[in-house]
This record gives sequence, C-alpha cells and structure tokens, in this order.
Amino acid sequence: MSGPERQQITRIEVKDLVVRYAGDVLAVNGVSFDVGRGEHVTLLGPSGCGKTTTLRAIAGLEQPSAGSIRIDGRTMYSAAEKLNVTTENRGVSMVFQSYAVWPHMTVFDNVAYGLKVRKQSGAQIKEAVDRALGLVQMRHLADRGASKLSGGQQQRVALARAIAFSPTVVLFDEPLSNLDAKLRAEMRVELRDLQRRLDITSVYVTHDQEEALAISDRVIVMNVGVIEQIGSPQEIYNRPRTRFVADFVGSANLLKGKIRGASDAGGGVAFEIADGSVLQAIAPGGAVAAGNDGEVSVRTAYIGFGKVDGQNQIAGAVYQRMFHGDFVQYIIDSPVGRLTVRRPPTQLVDEGTAVTLSFAPEHCVLLQG
Amino acid sequence: MQKALVDHALGDMKHRFGWQIPISLGIILVVGFLVLLPVLFLFEKAFNVGDPMSFPATKHGTDNLFSLFTEDFDIILNTVYVALMATVMAIFIGFTLAWILTRTNVAAREKLERLMEVPYYMTPLVGALAWAVLAAPKSGFFNQAWHAVGGTNDPFDIYTLFGIAWVMALFEGTVAYVMISASMKSMDPALEESARVMGASKLRTTLTVTLPLVLPGVLGATLFVFAEMLGSFAAALVLGIPGRIYVVTTSIWSTVEAFPPNYGKAAAMGLSLFLVMVAMLAFYRWIVTRGSYATITGKAFRPRPMDMGRFSWFLFSFCLLYILLAVILPVGALLLTSFQTFATVILSQATFTLNNYQEALALGPVRGALLNSIVLGIGVATVGALVMTVLVWIIYRSNLKGRGAIEYLAMFPSSVPRLVFGLGLLWAWINMPGGLYGSLWLLGIAYFTVLLPLGVRTIAGVVLQIDKSLEECARVCGAGWGYQMRTVTLPLLKPGIIAAWMLLFAASVREVGASLLLMGPHSKVIGPSIVSTWANSGTQLTAAMALIQTFVVMLALIILFRVTRESQREMS
Repeated sequence: MSGPERQQITRIEVKDLVVRYAGDVLAVNGVSFDVGRGEHVTLLGPSGCGKTTTLRAIAGLEQPSAGSIRIDGRTMYSAAEKLNVTTENRGVSMVFQSYAVWPHMTVFDNVAYGLKVRKQSGAQIKEAVDRALGLVQMRHLADRGASKLSGGQQQRVALARAIAFSPTVVLFDEPLSNLDAKLRAEMRVELRDLQRRLDITSVYVTHDQEEALAISDRVIVMNVGVIEQIGSPQEIYNRPRTRFVADFVGSANLLKGKIRGASDAGGGVAFEIADGSVLQAIAPGGAVAAGNDGEVSVRTAYIGFGKVDGQNQIAGAVYQRMFHGDFVQYIIDSPVGRLTVRRPPTQLVDEGTAVTLSFAPEHCVLLQG
Repeated sequence: MQKALVDHALGDMKHRFGWQIPISLGIILVVGFLVLLPVLFLFEKAFNVGDPMSFPATKHGTDNLFSLFTEDFDIILNTVYVALMATVMAIFIGFTLAWILTRTNVAAREKLERLMEVPYYMTPLVGALAWAVLAAPKSGFFNQAWHAVGGTNDPFDIYTLFGIAWVMALFEGTVAYVMISASMKSMDPALEESARVMGASKLRTTLTVTLPLVLPGVLGATLFVFAEMLGSFAAALVLGIPGRIYVVTTSIWSTVEAFPPNYGKAAAMGLSLFLVMVAMLAFYRWIVTRGSYATITGKAFRPRPMDMGRFSWFLFSFCLLYILLAVILPVGALLLTSFQTFATVILSQATFTLNNYQEALALGPVRGALLNSIVLGIGVATVGALVMTVLVWIIYRSNLKGRGAIEYLAMFPSSVPRLVFGLGLLWAWINMPGGLYGSLWLLGIAYFTVLLPLGVRTIAGVVLQIDKSLEECARVCGAGWGYQMRTVTLPLLKPGIIAAWMLLFAASVREVGASLLLMGPHSKVIGPSIVSTWANSGTQLTAAMALIQTFVVMLALIILFRVTRESQREMS
C-alpha cells in the first residue's frame, strides 16, 4: 500500500471533545479530528492551548466531559454512552515529556515492562527488547541502571519502551523539549526515520512550530482549547487561515486594510493597504465581500528586494540589519509601518539603503476575520 | 419530565463520581472521628460547670474560662514570658546558625549541618534532665565546680523561668534553624550577586537585599516557634516543678493529677491554649502564603558562600559553642551521672557503678514501660506507615473528591498541644464502651493520631518528588492499578515508607505529652516513667533511663539515615 492509501483507514477519531478542569475551566472546547493509519499528526499551539490535554484524553489519562474518542473503530470514550475505557485497556503507547524512565529499574526492565504486562515469554521479551533498543542505538546499555543515564539516553529508552510492545498508536507529549538544540535536531531525524520504518500511527504534541512542520504529515494548530487550522505543513505555512496561525507558525508581516474587489475565479482579490496602494492577494478561505476591513499575511521569507514584474511592491528603507547566519533579518521602514524581511546571507544590504520590496500575489494571503 | 431530569442528573453524578463518594466519606469519617472527637470533648468539658463526675454534664457555663483570668493570671504571665524568651533565643540562635551555615565559608560546614539536628532528636525531656544535672542550685555540676574553686554562693539556677526558656530554646529551637535556613537556601544567589555587581559592599548587600528577602521567612519562623513554645511541656515540667513554677501546660497536668481533679478548669486552660495556637498558626500560614515570597521560589539553590576571612573562625566557634551547650555537655552530664552512686563532677569524690543501668533494666515497672514503648512504637510505626501511605496517595495522587478535607484533617493535630490532645482523648474514651481506656490500645490510637502530621508530611515529601508520569507511563504500558502500585509506585516509595516507619517509631518511644494522662497502671510507657522517676527517686536512675531511651531512639534514627543514604545513592 502506498502512503495516501494507507491513510484512508481511520485509526483515531476524536469528535467534539470537551475537557473541563476543576473550577469549570474549559481546557479543550469541542475539538474534532481524524488520524489515518500510519499517519503522523502533530498538535501545535502555545502552552495552555489544550494540546497536551487532548493527547492525555486520547490516552485515557484525562477524563473528558463531552464528545467521543474512537481508536481502531473501538469506542474508548463516549459521553453519550457514559463509557470511559481505562488507560491500560486502550492499547496505545506514549512517550512522556519528562521521559518517565523508572529510576529503580535497568534499561532492559524499563523497555520490557509493556511486554511483561502482556505476559510474553522470556525469549519473546528478550528479542523484542533487543530490537527496540537496537532501533534507538542503546543495545550496549541494556544492563545499566536507568538513573545513570544522560538526558538524551533517557529519551532513547523512553522511545524504545514506547515501541517495544508493537503498539499501533504512539502518543508523543513534547518528547524533545528537554533536549538541547543540537540533540533535538538529531532526534527529529531519527524520529522521522522510525515512523517510516515501523507501521505506527502517531499523535505528537509540541509548542515548537519548526519541529511540527519538520516531522508531521499533518499539523493541527490549536489555540485556547479550539482548533484554528488543520493541514499539511506546507498548507499551514503558505496558506495560514487566521491571524493566529500566521503569527504563531513561522514569521509573517500582518497588514491591515480594505478588500477592494471581489475574489475572481482563482481566489485572487484586490486589497488596499494604509498608504492607499492596492495589493494583489489570494483568499484561500473562499468568496469575500468587497468593502470589508481585512488583514493580509506576508511571510518574511517570501519578500524579495528589487522590482519584479507582476508582483506587489512596497517602497521603503532598511532601518536595521541583523545577521543570523542562516539568514539575514532586515527591518524595513515603509509607509505602512515597519516590515520584517528575511533574506539569504549571500547578498547584504546596508542600513539606510532605500529598497523596493516585492512579493508574489500567492504569498499575500487574506486572513479570515 | 421532572423525574427524567432527576434521573439523568443522578446518572450523571454516578458516572462522574462512581465509587468515590463512599470511599472518601468513609475516610473522612474515620480520620475526623480520631482527630476531632477529642477536641469536641475538650469544648464540652471546658463549659461543664456541673458535677464533674456525671456524664452527660448537668450544667454548662463559662465559669471555668473566666477563672483563668481571675485565679490563674500568674500562670498566663509565666507562659507568655517563657514562650517569648524562648522564642527570642531560639530565633537568635537559629538565624545566626542558618546564616553561618548557608551563607559563609565556615570550616566543616556539612558536618556542622548534620550536628545541628542532634539536639532536636535528644528531645526537650532529656535536655531538661541533663540541664537539671548541670545547673541545679547547689548540687548542679556547674555550682559544684564553682564551689571547688572557692566560690561560696550558687551562681547557676536552672529552676527558673529563664532556665525553662533556655532549655526550650536549645532543644526545641532547632526548628527555627531548619525553617530559616530553608528560606535562605531557596533564595536565588543572583539577587545578591546583582547587588554586588552594582557596587554594593558585602555588608550593604546583606542589609539591603538579603535581610529584606529572608524577613518573611524569619517572621514566619518566629510565629511558628512561639506557638510551639506555648504548647511545650516537658522542659517546663522537669525544671518548673522543683521551684513551683507553672506554665499553662504543666498547670493542666497538675490540675488533673491533683485530688480532687478539676477537669473543667484543666479543659478550659487546654481549650484556650488550643485556640491561641490555632490563631497563631493561621496567622503564620497567612504570612507564608501572602505572596510576598515572589522572589523565593520552591527551587533550592546552592548559594555561593561569602568568604569571611579570619572572621570565619569566630563563626565556627559560635557553632561549636551551640553544639557544646546542646549536645556535648548534656550528654556528658547524663553519662557521668548514670554511672555514679551519687552525682558529682568532682571526680576524686566519685564512686562509679553499673547499678543504675541494672536497676533500670531489672526494675519491673521500668522494664515493662520500656518494653511497652517498644511494642507500641513497632505497632504504631507499622500500622501508621501503611495507613499514612494510603492517605498520602489519596491526598496527592488520586482525583477523589474531598481529598482536601482529608489533608486538612490529617494535618489538624499539629495545632493541638500533645498534652491537651491527651486530655481530650481521655474524656472521649473514658465513657466509651469496649474498655479501651487504660490499655495500650488507647495509647496506640493516641500516638497514631498525634503523629499523623509527621507521617503524612514525611511520606508526602517522597510522593511529591515522584513525577506523576512515572505512574501514568505504567498505565499506558498496559498495567492495571494493582500491577502499577506493585511494580512502580511502592518500589519508588520504599525509602519514604522506611523513613516514615523509623520516624514514627522514634517519635512513639519518646512520646511524653499525650501519654502522661492516658497511661494506666497496666500500660506504662517510658517517657512518663522517666518523669515520675525524676519526681520520686534519684537523679542517677533517671539519667540511666533517659540514656537508654535516647539510645533506642538514636539506633532507629541511625538505621534510618543509613537506609535513606543508600537509596539516595541508588537513585542518583
């Protein structure tokens, strides 16, 4: 089976999920999404947006107050049926933010836990643990006490433990957030590799937008308990639907103005900004009415210096230049306010230089109110 | 329609709470019964002005409470004076030691820190006995030595209000050191360092940054220690009786022991003391939680110690002086006395003997009391550690409704002086069918209840350190509740449970306040027996008994330290 075909089989189905905390705080307020077989979906959002609560509700560690959760066609939670399957009977696996590696056991015992619970034979356990530890390159430390491991090693043990009993669904709760930047980048590559090699479906929680874009098939952006947008990493980046998504994922310039012409067949729309000039923008959300106030988002990486025919232009001058290495960030003074532009470090423009900014209409995205 | 709605609501309740309500209700009832019943009886007795021998009371009134202020005002004055003096001394000693040991580079800091705990474990009873041997008028070692070098008068007299306060400060004041050094340790050293960077001198930094930041902690410790001192009993008993000096606690005891006993008056005194302590502790909690601690995080820092140069030897001697006064001299005096036929510090006149130890271990009642205490200690520690582990797990790990109430009840006994609690228990159980009164069982119940806060706090300290996801992960791996408890929770809790067992055992063996009034002729325990030996027979025998008790307690604590250190090594 090829990728898209496999993903048509639904593994996880979350419907109208509501989780209330003590004091009637709504942590999750009506969240619905599906995860297909073999798919890797990430819940992305700032802290307190309800992403971890949603994940914990799927694991059965949090008691929802409305909605339903189905895994492999089996109802795990349903408010209507007053059903809540206990965590240990859901058959899912999870990697915790704190790793949760048991300090009183060896690496081997940690990884073997899920297999021992499932009453597998000694030989089966040994083989499965060996394979799991091999996948994370930790076989040589099998007999080491778990409390004598470094952070990165604990992370690998937690990962091996989560996949050792061949679960079909693995949940990841910010598993890389406690690692340093270099190790985190390495582990991302390994995680992506593991997902492809094992036939697992995963739901991943992170507040790191870069990580979310890099390792997911689909990203679900959440804010204050509700879903803002669901889409592939490219869709989320290139066609942010709301101001929140444009601002939280990647870096963008947000320009306020008025919608001048109704959208044409291709979704193109004319948009007048503060200085009276008109930009050509796209409206991926569908038809919009002329005359309304609105806001467009332009990614900092999609703005070039110099006039380009057929593109939007804004004149300005370089106010500040910051050399980041992988890119150079310019702050541009313009008639519509300060704009941020990120360019490759191959060509540098000095502070004070007058520049014309240009960007394609498909990179100027009208946001929904 | 109406009925359907109600049914739905009930179904929803069941769905949400299920079996939780009966369980938490049961726990709240049992713990509440143990903890609150004595206090209820205390209230009842305090207002009972009818025939003291009849139950239920024949007449209620406030005469008992008012007589406190008319007849016994000097006792109130004594109590406040002793508690104030003791608090001032304890805070001075505690603050100085805490500052020296957390903020300066004094020599052998870690060894000194360990030694600071010893006076607390020696108990105020043993401390008071030792200081009676050291500084009693005429026969005290200090005065003997003074006479030997030609002095004529008695410059030392421990049987005074100041003497009582002094001993309380030395042996109960360590809690001030623990609290203040905790607040000093939790202060981010960067706060001081930035003052130094801005150009402030060491002294200026201490005055403008360190002091204001630790002030709430010191204030809190002052209130807490003052409340403790008000309810303190053992030192006031040992040192106050010879000079006929009474504070509220000792006066409660003598009112009950007198013939005829005046229970109403004793209860009124106990109730007043209890209410004052509750108010003080509520005020203390208010100060601690008011939020002025924004700079003091829960995180423990290792502050960079200040280099004190030559001055650090002076600080080192201050620490040594404290150890000398609170450990070396008292233990030395008791040891010397316990091996003599007549207590003297002039060694040329001394006759050494093992008789005191023989007598203490052979004497029927004494040996019986020691055995009873050890049996009680083992029983209370075993049952207590198990029950308290379950309580702690419910309070801090479950989603049970009403767990806040359970926590409050479990911590409640810490605001009732032991003696007053014993007084309440006495009446609560004297009329209860089942004949528990005067048996070891009642003492066991009393110990369990008054030690609830100690045990719960000890085990909670370990439970709170265990990351919740360690348990959750076991569930996700497919383990049921029982399997998870057996393979993850209990193994991780083991050091905490052992520590609680040892502490409960030690605290039971050295218990005095609650035991004194609950002990029957067939259920003698060691603490009160030491007190009565002190009152009725020689100093030498008392010293031997006190040392035997201390030895048993220390043995338990040494095992405790070994176990916790080993498990710490295992975990790290």
